[in-house]
Amino acid sequence: MSKKITFTSIADLPPLVVSMGTTEVNATGSWRYLRPVYHDKTAPCIEGCPASEDIEQYMYWAARGDFDKAWEVLVEENPFPAVCGRVCYHPCESSCNRDHFDQSLGINSIERFIGDHGLEFSLDRFKVAEEREQKIAVAGAGPAGLAAAYHLRRLGYQVTVYEKEEKPGGILQYGIPRYRLPKHILEAEIMRLERFGVEIKTGVQVGKDIPWNEFLQHDAVFLAVGVHKSRKLNVPGEDLDGVIAGLDFLSRINSGEDVSLGKNVAVIGGGNTAMDAVRTALRLGSTPAIYYRRTRAEMPAILDEIEEAEREGIPMEFLVTPVELIGENGALKAMKLQRMELGEPDESGRRRPVPVEGSEYVVEVDNVITAIGEQGDFTSIPEKLIEWGVVKSDAFGQTEQRPVFAGGDIIEQPHTVVHAIGSGKKAAMAIHAYLNGGDIATLADKIHVGNKGGVSFLRFRDGHEGDPVDNHEVVTFENINTSYFTRKDRHQVPELDVKTRITNFEEVKGTIDREAAMDEALRCFNCGVCNMCDNCLVFCPDVAIKRRDDRFRYEIDYAYCKGCGICVVECPRSALSLVPEGK
Amino acid sequence: MKKVMMGNHAVSYGARLSRVDVIAAYPITPQTQIVEELSELCADGKLDAKFIKVESEHSAMASCMGASAAGGRAFTATSSQGLALMHELLHFSSGGRLPIVMANVNRALGPGWNIWTEQTDSLAQRDTGWLQFYCENNQEVLDTVIMSYKIAEQLSLPVMLVLDAFILSHTYEIVDIPEQEAIDGYLPPYKPEIKMDVDNPHAFGALVTPDHYYEIRYKLQETMDRAPEVARKAGEEYGKLVGRPYDIVEPYMLDDADVVIVAAGTLVSNSRAVINEYREKGIKVGLLKLRMFRPFPTKRVRELLAGKKKIAVIDRNISFGATGIFYQELKAALYGQNNGAGSPDIFGFIIGLGGRDVTLEDIAEIVDYTLEKEKNEEDIIWMGLKR
Amino acid sequence: MNHVDIQPRIPEPELMYSGHLACPGCGASLAMRYALKALGNNTMVIIPACCWSIIAGPFPYSALGVPIYHTAFETAAAVASGMKAALDQQGKSDVTVMAWAGDGGTYDIGFQALSGAAERNEDFLYVCYDNEAYMNTGIQRSSSTPFGAWTTTTPENHRKERPKKDIVGILAAHRIPYLATVSVAYPEDFIRKFQKARSIRGMKFIQILSPCPPGWKTADDQSIHISRLAVESRIFPLLEIEHGEKYTLNLEPEGISVRDYLEAQGRFRKLSEQDVAYIQNEVDRKWEMLKRQVS
Ligand SMILES: Cc1cc2nc3c(=O)[nH]c(=O)nc-3n(C[C@H](O)[C@H](O)[C@H](O)COP(=O)(O)OP(=O)(O)OC[C@H]3O[C@@H](n4cnc5c(N)ncnc54)[C@H](O)[C@@H]3O)c2cc1C
Ligand SMILES: Cc1ncc(C[n+]2csc(CCOP(=O)(O)OP(=O)(O)O)c2C)c(N)n1
Ligand code: SF4
Ligand code: SF4
Ligand code: SF4
Ligand SMILES: [Mg+2]
Repeated sequence: MSKKITFTSIADLPPLVVSMGTTEVNATGSWRYLRPVYHDKTAPCIEGCPASEDIEQYMYWAARGDFDKAWEVLVEENPFPAVCGRVCYHPCESSCNRDHFDQSLGINSIERFIGDHGLEFSLDRFKVAEEREQKIAVAGAGPAGLAAAYHLRRLGYQVTVYEKEEKPGGILQYGIPRYRLPKHILEAEIMRLERFGVEIKTGVQVGKDIPWNEFLQHDAVFLAVGVHKSRKLNVPGEDLDGVIAGLDFLSRINSGEDVSLGKNVAVIGGGNTAMDAVRTALRLGSTPAIYYRRTRAEMPAILDEIEEAEREGIPMEFLVTPVELIGENGALKAMKLQRMELGEPDESGRRRPVPVEGSEYVVEVDNVITAIGEQGDFTSIPEKLIEWGVVKSDAFGQTEQRPVFAGGDIIEQPHTVVHAIGSGKKAAMAIHAYLNGGDIATLADKIHVGNKGGVSFLRFRDGHEGDPVDNHEVVTFENINTSYFTRKDRHQVPELDVKTRITNFEEVKGTIDREAAMDEALRCFNCGVCNMCDNCLVFCPDVAIKRRDDRFRYEIDYAYCKGCGICVVECPRSALSLVPEGK
Repeated sequence: MKKVMMGNHAVSYGARLSRVDVIAAYPITPQTQIVEELSELCADGKLDAKFIKVESEHSAMASCMGASAAGGRAFTATSSQGLALMHELLHFSSGGRLPIVMANVNRALGPGWNIWTEQTDSLAQRDTGWLQFYCENNQEVLDTVIMSYKIAEQLSLPVMLVLDAFILSHTYEIVDIPEQEAIDGYLPPYKPEIKMDVDNPHAFGALVTPDHYYEIRYKLQETMDRAPEVARKAGEEYGKLVGRPYDIVEPYMLDDADVVIVAAGTLVSNSRAVINEYREKGIKVGLLKLRMFRPFPTKRVRELLAGKKKIAVIDRNISFGATGIFYQELKAALYGQNNGAGSPDIFGFIIGLGGRDVTLEDIAEIVDYTLEKEKNEEDIIWMGLKR
Repeated sequence: MNHVDIQPRIPEPELMYSGHLACPGCGASLAMRYALKALGNNTMVIIPACCWSIIAGPFPYSALGVPIYHTAFETAAAVASGMKAALDQQGKSDVTVMAWAGDGGTYDIGFQALSGAAERNEDFLYVCYDNEAYMNTGIQRSSSTPFGAWTTTTPENHRKERPKKDIVGILAAHRIPYLATVSVAYPEDFIRKFQKARSIRGMKFIQILSPCPPGWKTADDQSIHISRLAVESRIFPLLEIEHGEKYTLNLEPEGISVRDYLEAQGRFRKLSEQDVAYIQNEVDRKWEMLKRQVS
């Protein structure tokens, strides 16, 4: 600040009106009644991601071509970017603000690129905070179990995962077909966890190979055994030869078994299992079709999967349900269907299908694959933990019995990979809190990301320091100053053409290339987080914004800031807020 | 070197000898030859100056201000309407302490276009903070241009030198042109202490509150108070150099005079001739030539007119609603002298407005009137008015 | 989080100081900040009577790190001519002399001096920060005030009936070497043009549309937004004209409705539907004309 000039006598005064100092003597900050503050907020994509990946941050790095850094940011929250980049239904994208501008960001395809980049360059810079003595056991090596193991290991615990099958991965291994998720990708991401010190013991069924009580001897246990029992159609003829349970079918194919199907294959259901089964059947040379009792709009499968099935030419019959499977000599021959119509909404909010009297008809089929949902098989879990077919737990997977925690499909939550991963992370935090005599509930406010239940591991471990997203305020599209963005379509994902893909199990979708990944990441608004675009610095009429000494971000000189608010309005991404002065 | 030249060219030669850097001027009769000659001098490379052919006198003065503020020696010339148009900037340039020199050819103001001589245009600018010198002949014109820079740059104030329309401006007289070398010794290059300078940036002329404005105005007046001494020295020094000393006021046969004529410009020459006639007749008439009008040389005037009984002031100008301007100023200067006891009787004559000829007979009439009257009875004595 | 190396978008050195006396959100102050970033410290600024006479700070302070000459309202161009001449005489021709005047000092009272200097092709940069009224004296109309705008001398029931004077057209007719329009919402374009102006000998004229929150009756934080709307609605095209004949349009916006621009400002509150239609018409017509001049 330049010095205030005072004249003590006339002799001090110059003979003419000439300046002798600068206006920095005027502390114009006193004019201000609104104060701009740098205030990072939560991007809706992050809030929309059940694993709370710091999408905004890795977009920042991806846009600048630093994919190592992007990968590091990503795996803070989710150890399976290459897997999720392939199979996640990406609710982040449906929350993306860019959707209101042109098209939502291709978050999933960038995530996949980053995941593959991590594999290609064998990135595994996981950090263990401090080694701890406590031993933790996990039942089930599906995404929930593995995610929990990963985060617990990072917190320093000795973790063993018991998996009843021969290979880890759960449904990723045995359910999802390889044309969607090649096994080497899955296995590479799991092996990385093993190298990091997560012990996985396969072929060990908890409750059988390890008795429940022995299992409970660990300092804490995490149950993530998944749900795999196919629901029954409950119609006559269900035991006929040629009737196959969907998940069994997929599991056998994934295990490398030869499964021979007839020509006409009817797949009953509208979920992921149905889509995977029908497309698998197609690849095995059959002519499969979908039969679903509601309409396309109600299908629970990931939309992408429905679309792909359609593009592959699979017929879909809606508003029909099998009422009888008709056999000949114990072998399936035909299927009697009844037409349905939509009635009143049921508890899921979808309109309940009701049978139309006298609308039955018969189609010839060689196989019926049932895919109307899976149920848990809880024979090995103490009964008192179960209620309404799920393991009773709170939002952090804490059951009523300590030290038992649970996650994934066996608890009350959507059956998706990313929810499973998110629940594993939450349980890891809860276990840590439990083992340290704390209560995760008291931390909830600190670690929540947005208001949809997601939590940040980074913030749990490191606190707010260094974490840009320090509040739950979610940036809406209205908060974005779109003047600074130009419309641009999202990058298309490369894929095999339909003709070639349906003859084999080659991966259908490809990974975008590096340039495309950078380009796509550049479309990101970076909602709510300062990315040093310089707008505030450039537009301040009062030269009150300075680059910080370390040249990272800015600081506001409140001695001079008049509180015009231009910096706040012109921040493209709402990383500043205007607050009443004196608060 | 001696040369026969008109007054306007004498101005141009004075500017050339002063090695002005920037000239900005706009033509007006009867000043035009100043501009024309300077254009020629610049075009021929005889004068290394930038001549900005501005689109008005207002811009002429503004350009001079810009040039002077940046440390250049600036010159302009105008007359009458042009000077009136500049008025705002006369305040600006003196307040800005810019040593600009301007020649003003005295001319009457319209309406009723009149291009002939009258002093009202320059005298009307008396409160603008400019120094004013009135010249009697073309030699004095040339010399005064040079001396003006000497004075202006010492005081950081602008100077106006005044010559009569046609009687000097267009009249050829023999003029001695001093050697450039001699003038260079007398008038070193302009080096202001503070100016527009990118290496030492200041803001000039910003908003100034009542807290400081008053004192800064006081300082300007303080400088004005020093001006007569500075001007006298400059005239003396110039005299040593070229053999023609100048003073701020110049007495002629004053010591024993019973009646003193006070005049400025070419009226002085007429008066001198009449005084010679009267002296031959044994009548003691004397003269005080006012070269400097601003600041008013009060001290010298009081000294020189101490004990005088009758003073005739000849004004070729008028302050409407008041009197002739020299008359007012002189009265004010002599008011209450000698404890009011021996203060002179002052007669105010207005004559020759709008270029009406002032003859020797007219001056003689003024002397006779003054001799005759016991006491002055009127504020204005109109000479030659066709009633 | 670490960060990547910062590539400043516009020159980093600041030659305008904080603590200046512009109103919050004043476009004219931001404009000066950019201008000096572009020109650097080998610059002298001449400021006639206008808001900037106040903004620059009262004696004994200055808001700029370069010399300023405060001068009479109508004299910017003439003072600049003289100053440049004196600098040339001293061998300092590399100094950029910038006259910095409001619209009043440019379109109206200083117009004659400007035209004179332009015709003489004086070697300085004349900048008009155009806030479309006499703001210093409390928002009176100038010949730059647009049709239909409120000012204290064009009150709501007798708003301005005549269109804004076409200063760019007038200056183009003087065939000066360089003429440009800039907006504070487009800092890169702004700075590029000032730097270009600096490199050209002869007369340069740059017009800045300069939002004024109190005068335009807008919120303090809207200045950039409104500047952008002016450009996007083609009310204020960003252009360059060389020697009065080579026209370049720096931006060809899709052309949003003028309504967006007008409705954002209280001074246009009383415009009728017809008024808006008329303005749109005029803007379209002028844009077409401009396009013809470009090609
Ligand atoms: C065919 C199919 C396709 C799907 N596609 C998608 C998709 O594309 N995207 C998506 O987001 N979601 C998809 N889902 C849902 C998603 O796969 C599940 O929600 C997710 O895998 C659940 O993870 P989890 O860890 O809870 O259980 P699982 O993945 O089921 O893993 C549980 C593991 O526990 C093991 N286990 C069971 N009992 C024991 C025991 N007693 N002792 C030891 N180990 C035991 C199992 O063998 C299994 O490996 C799909 C589901 C199916 C069925
Ligand atoms: C000769 C003269 N007339 C009037 C004024 C009063 N005056 C000072 S600034 C101004 C208006 C300036 O308007 P503009 O040039 O548009 O600049 P702004 O204040 O809008 O920035 C006026 C009328 C003056 N200073 N000088
Ligand atoms: S634009 Fe970027 S930060 Fe914003 S919601 Fe979309 S992906 Fe997230
Ligand atoms: S732009 Fe500058 S003056 Fe305005 S609120 Fe922001 S920091 Fe303060
Ligand atoms: S009145 Fe307008 S132009 Fe003047 S300082 Fe205030 S905002 Fe800026
Ligand atoms: Mg204005």
